[in-house]
Amino acid sequence: MAERLAMASMNKNLPRRGVLALGLALGAMSWMGLPAFAAGSVAENFVEKNVQKGLAVLNNKSLSTEQRRTQFETLLLGLTDLKRIADFTLGQYRRTASPADVAAFEAAFQNYAVAVYQSYFANYAGQTLKVTGSQARSADDFIVQTVLINPGDRSGQPPLQVDFRVRTDTGKPTVTDFSVSGIFLALEERDQFTSFLGQNGGNVRLLITHLNDLAKQFKN
Amino acid sequence: MRGFKALIAGLCGLVLAGCASTPPTPEQIANNDPYEATNRQTMVFNGKIDRYVVIPTVGVYFLLVPEGGRRGVHNFLGNLSLPTIFVNDLLQGEVKRAGQSAARLVINTGFGFGGFFDPARKMGIPGHGEDFGQTLSVWGAGEGPYLILPFFGPSNPRDTSGLVTDALIDPTNFIRFKQHLWWAGTREYFTYLDLRGQTYQTIQGVQRSSVDYYSSLRSLYRQLRNNDIRNGHPDTSQDLPDF
Repeated sequence: MAERLAMASMNKNLPRRGVLALGLALGAMSWMGLPAFAAGSVAENFVEKNVQKGLAVLNNKSLSTEQRRTQFETLLLGLTDLKRIADFTLGQYRRTASPADVAAFEAAFQNYAVAVYQSYFANYAGQTLKVTGSQARSADDFIVQTVLINPGDRSGQPPLQVDFRVRTDTGKPTVTDFSVSGIFLALEERDQFTSFLGQNGGNVRLLITHLNDLAKQFKN
Repeated sequence: MRGFKALIAGLCGLVLAGCASTPPTPEQIANNDPYEATNRQTMVFNGKIDRYVVIPTVGVYFLLVPEGGRRGVHNFLGNLSLPTIFVNDLLQGEVKRAGQSAARLVINTGFGFGGFFDPARKMGIPGHGEDFGQTLSVWGAGEGPYLILPFFGPSNPRDTSGLVTDALIDPTNFIRFKQHLWWAGTREYFTYLDLRGQTYQTIQGVQRSSVDYYSSLRSLYRQLRNNDIRNGHPDTSQDLPDF
């Protein structure tokens, strides 16, 4: 975005030969890098619009607890690919688990994730999100950087950094992970789930029971 | 004093790690955590200290000292760490950040009543952390196996040796005066209070949502340290798994 603004302002003062050179350069960029820039801004817009919506749901005091939960769940399911995240968090046990266990785990994970993510984001109710930029890891993999601004904060501490990993490989942007102060949640979940399964003989059913219990605790 | 304590803690951790009675499982080796059994026992021990000693005193601290006072203590402790941060900035070749640390030390000590206030931030000079564990990483040292140190919590050989070196770098340890032991003890105690007070809610949230708190803490520690080493810049390397 900044690069485009800089180019737009440069354009006013360029002589004819400069315009030609710029045209060639832009032509080269569109072939080499512009799609990544464009996709980066798509990812940024996607995060800004949807996360702001999520915070608005959490900030809406006229909603009942159940309404807030339902609206947050609907939004989260549209924003993320929880099935994809669930499969990732199973690690190497994804390959050995039966299809029935994997399906049951995906359902339990969704239930758990909605409860836990809602609880995490509820801590930031009343704050606003500002996209500060994005970095392309590949043509369809972006880290969108944001900060959460708390209007009432007088601590003098810098705003909280929240990064969103956005994948566009399925044709539409999808959040596959987010990090707070550099800690990615799906990575942390994979580490603890695989460790738990390692200690319990790869018993996915036991993990499902634990996830359901935790989700229940968060909802109460 | 701090150096001595850190050294003892480090040695304890290494000795305990060496005492692991059962050979590591393939899972533990894959997680770079061959001393998991001992680490889990140390975590239980630290948890008891936290529950019965640290948390009650944090409660009293929050009750007696208002938010402004706690912020002043936080700023003062941060100011005391600036010489160590400055040295590590330089050792990492971060000249601009070293300049910021030096400027913060001068401004906050001189105009912030010994560091209780943070006028440097208002002047647009932000603070940051650095330690010798991060410096070793910048120099190319690997973290080594995961360790949980008694009293100090999650670590690894690289960060443990960083802890010891930072204590040796700290100029306040070279100031000899009659009440030095009390000064060092009080500083250590308030550092605990400040840190635990700030992280209380976060840790409670992690404990509540974890299927396995130990491995959750291990993952959080590693990710947080890597983020510190990158100075908060996003991870664009290929270290993030593709999924």
